[in-house]
Amino acid sequence: MHIAVRAEEIREQFFQELEGLPHDAHQIKLFKDKYLGRKGLVADLFSTLKDVPVEDKPNAGKILNELRQSLAIKFESHTKELDNEGENKNHGDLTLPEDPYLIGGIHPLTHTLNEINSIFTKLGFSTVYGPEVDTDFFNFEALNIPKHHPARDMQDTFYVKDGVVLRTHTSNTQIHTMLKNDPPVKIIAPGRVFRNEDISVRSYCLFHQVEGLYIDKNVSFADLKGVLSHFAREFFGQNVKTRFRPSYFPFTEPSAEMDMSCFFCEQKGCNICKYEGWLEILGCGMVDPEVFKSVDYDPDNWSGYAFGMGIERIAMLKYGVKDIRLFYEGDTRFLGQFA
Amino acid sequence: MNTSLNWLKDYIEITQSSLELEKGLTALGLECTIQKQKYPFSNVVIGFVEEKKQHPNADKLSVCKVNIGNDEVVQIVCGAPNVREGLKVPVIKVGGTLDFGAFKIKRTKLRSEESNGMICSEKELGLGDSHDGIMELNTELPIGSDFISYLQSSSDINFDFELTPNRGDCFSHIGVAREIAILEKSQITEREININESKNNTKDLIKVTIENEDACPRYATRIVKNVKVGPSPDWLVNRIQSIGLKSINNIVDLANYVMMDCGHPMHTFDLDKITGNEIIVRFPKQNEKMQLLDESEIELNEHHLLICDQEKPIALAGVMGGIDSGINENSSDILIECAYFNPRVVRKSAKSLDISTDASKRFERDTDIERVEFAINHLAILIKEFAGGEITKGIIDVGIKSKVIPPISFSSRKCNRFLGINLDDNEIEEIFDLLNISYKKENDIYHCVVPSYRNDLEREVDLFEEVARVFGYDNIPEEFSFTSNYNTFIKDEQLSFNKLREISASNGFLEHYSNSLISEQLCQLFSKQPSIQLSNPLSQEMAYLRNSLIPGLLNAVSINERRQQSRFKLVEIGQIHKKVEAKETTSVESSAFGLVWYDNANPHWREIPQLDIYQAKRDVFIILKKMGCKNLKVKETDVLGFEYALEIKNKKIKIGVIGLISNKMLKLFNINNNVIIFDGDLQKLSSVSEKNIHRFKAVSQFPVVTRDIALLVNSNISAGKLTSTIKQYGGNILTTVKLFDLYEGKELGHNKKSMGYSLKFQSEDQTLNDKIIDKTIQKIIKALENEHGAIQR
Repeated sequence: MHIAVRAEEIREQFFQELEGLPHDAHQIKLFKDKYLGRKGLVADLFSTLKDVPVEDKPNAGKILNELRQSLAIKFESHTKELDNEGENKNHGDLTLPEDPYLIGGIHPLTHTLNEINSIFTKLGFSTVYGPEVDTDFFNFEALNIPKHHPARDMQDTFYVKDGVVLRTHTSNTQIHTMLKNDPPVKIIAPGRVFRNEDISVRSYCLFHQVEGLYIDKNVSFADLKGVLSHFAREFFGQNVKTRFRPSYFPFTEPSAEMDMSCFFCEQKGCNICKYEGWLEILGCGMVDPEVFKSVDYDPDNWSGYAFGMGIERIAMLKYGVKDIRLFYEGDTRFLGQFA
Repeated sequence: MNTSLNWLKDYIEITQSSLELEKGLTALGLECTIQKQKYPFSNVVIGFVEEKKQHPNADKLSVCKVNIGNDEVVQIVCGAPNVREGLKVPVIKVGGTLDFGAFKIKRTKLRSEESNGMICSEKELGLGDSHDGIMELNTELPIGSDFISYLQSSSDINFDFELTPNRGDCFSHIGVAREIAILEKSQITEREININESKNNTKDLIKVTIENEDACPRYATRIVKNVKVGPSPDWLVNRIQSIGLKSINNIVDLANYVMMDCGHPMHTFDLDKITGNEIIVRFPKQNEKMQLLDESEIELNEHHLLICDQEKPIALAGVMGGIDSGINENSSDILIECAYFNPRVVRKSAKSLDISTDASKRFERDTDIERVEFAINHLAILIKEFAGGEITKGIIDVGIKSKVIPPISFSSRKCNRFLGINLDDNEIEEIFDLLNISYKKENDIYHCVVPSYRNDLEREVDLFEEVARVFGYDNIPEEFSFTSNYNTFIKDEQLSFNKLREISASNGFLEHYSNSLISEQLCQLFSKQPSIQLSNPLSQEMAYLRNSLIPGLLNAVSINERRQQSRFKLVEIGQIHKKVEAKETTSVESSAFGLVWYDNANPHWREIPQLDIYQAKRDVFIILKKMGCKNLKVKETDVLGFEYALEIKNKKIKIGVIGLISNKMLKLFNINNNVIIFDGDLQKLSSVSEKNIHRFKAVSQFPVVTRDIALLVNSNISAGKLTSTIKQYGGNILTTVKLFDLYEGKELGHNKKSMGYSLKFQSEDQTLNDKIIDKTIQKIIKALENEHGAIQR
């Protein structure tokens, strides 16, 4: 009888294949579909029943039911063994290396900038941006650095043409922002700035700054000291001390440099602080009335402070990087350390 | 600027130690460092020779008993001829070292006589070259005291200042002394000078004409006749050398001395070389030239203010003298110039020639117009005293003698509020007194007059700074509450940039920052956008602002390949510039982002796909989709510098291109392996991100039906086109289209390929029956046939 023969064939094939069935859920599912599935071999054979002569049908049906039942039982009992966890010993050497992968990461200067940003953002400073190529007015004149003033020597400038410069500081963003917005203003402005200086271990033709500006009623020098000391402690640690020294920037009066106690030697004296115990961190001051004039703010009604810091300098201190050029080279062995 | 402590002591009695001064002056805003001397020895004390006897076994040696303090008397064998009883000498004790620790003193026996230490010569201590004998100290210091403190008390100390441009008044010893007076809470003592003039009248010898009083408000001269130019006296050499200058001759040294002393630069001319007995201060005539002291020949222009005689320029005002009119060893009659020049004029002049001299530095930072007479008299007196001759009668002093200094109104209340302090009027007045600011109080307002040397104080806020400085920045409290006004909130336009950084980083990309300044050649490789040229670049390699991120990324690839890095991915986010003449700055700046893939890895133990455009595309799709692109489409395109490339769009907006860098470019950058680059427009991507408002969509409860179709198409039909036709005709119920098989073989026929697509259908509101699906499949296949000549297999 045709069906009986075919049934035996399937049974034999089933047993053979079952023996070698790997302990793998996907393979097991494919195996089950092949024999016992809705479109499997057994189901196929069932579909031929309709062609069997009526007198043979009971017998053929019996054979097929028995086939289905026995295969199902066998399959269940065989695969049940597989349910015992950890029984599978034929999986090969699992300590062979995983497939290759790459770990990405953001740049140490981005890390540093983001940390600085997040401290000031919590204090209510909005982040704004200014152009890298700007006019003499925004970069110098509106900031009370007139032409032919010795203060221009403080920054070596790249010129695009007469009256157009690569910004030497992010302070140009102060002017753009104040011309666009009425006071109060409370911003930080990060960005890339350029200096016409020879490239060396300590200096590069460009670097990054974060500028801060807060204009409001009755902002005082004490407010400035508070916000920057808070920043230094948040960024470098609660034990950090700060000191303020008089300095000179044309766009602030009074002007100050903020130094921070050396966190490497805790002021015992080391190479990093040149045995002085203090590290220069940033320049700051109270916004000069001349700056207010150039943006049409009334200096009798408003006062404010501004500060600016170099991201590279802070990142170099933080990570102990001695050569500024490493930041722009793209050596993956350097970048990978910050991933 | 270099100053000498001994010199400063001419002006003020100093009670503070040099370390205290260093700290105090820095806190006042004069950033200063002491030039600390390092001594190469240790354990040297002042000893007293109590007894000297001839060494029994050596003619040239003596055996001495030396008191080294605390009643300790040691025996030392000494070979110096000048050792004798009653001398105070430097003694290095046993255990001390010389030559920075290289030589250690031990207890020893010299020809059987015990020696405990050594009496030292200058040379042995590294203090000088004299090896003639031991140092003989003339000091009151007690026996046994430290020798280094002896050296420090007897030698000078130098303070080196980094002065800010606003403090021209501190460019001198008197200026620094005034600041020390603030620290000492006292006043300086001005020099007293008495001038003895001869009967000859100066005005018979010289006339002065100022043509431009704005450029030169005051010009004074004196004449000293019959001087003898020669070497400087010792005291002058010492003073000049003590601040690091070289002694030249008595006249030059004295002029430098007075300048370093009071801050006012002066110039000396040889009177015989001045034609026509007239000094004229004027701007150049057309095509005028002159040769400066440093022998450089300069073409004069409208920036250069000149000191001239009746024929020719004899000095570049405030900057440098001319070569012909200067003093030499044969000069006899000297004309001293002491002028007050407009700081801007001197700066323009020096800047235009790129010269900076001691004189120009001081004039640029502004000098004290009222110091002119004192300075010229002081110099004349000194020349007469140390070079002989006679000072002729009278000073020719043309122009204004002082500046009008309007009083500055000052409110203590405002000052306290501005600084966040609380000083009473007495404290404020004490500060004014220390600064020599005179004041009158009316109601609550002080009317302050600042001394003429403080050109930097013009406004009330300048006085606030003075109050802050003298009160001490460190004494101002820190205010620990802060306010925020919602009006100040401004939207962060680059918020999505950090998201892009994070997503790229988590997909294996390392962030790179490259130089924005590149060469002209690099600007032309990957972009046709005109780029911005610098007029004063550092070098031709850095003469342009980048108009693409690709050169910077390829430079980084090249560096990493050279350093044997075999596998990496980089991302850069940064600003690029396009030159647009119509803009005031000529720059249109935009934010770009670039990705680079490099993979030259050794084979893995099991097969994994090699880096190719499909892998790179996968990264880009992950990143762009995470950034909010929901509808990405690609199309092959030609891109400058690429072997082949795809354009990636979200809806209609082009986000960027991805492709393989051409061999020509790889060669240019010295790269030996394939590099894939994505070059993206970050502003476009951000705008997509912004518009992407996320709306929830119900998850269908109905089953998914999968149908596979196999197509035979011409090889030149792109998968992208087929997929987009399938999607178009599949309609809403077609949820995914997946290419699971691609085959090209001879049996298919020439230029044919077979493509197997798996399509998934699902409806949101019903179970799909075969009829609907069959109909859709038929529609798709028909469209594929019509549009692409595809045949179902």
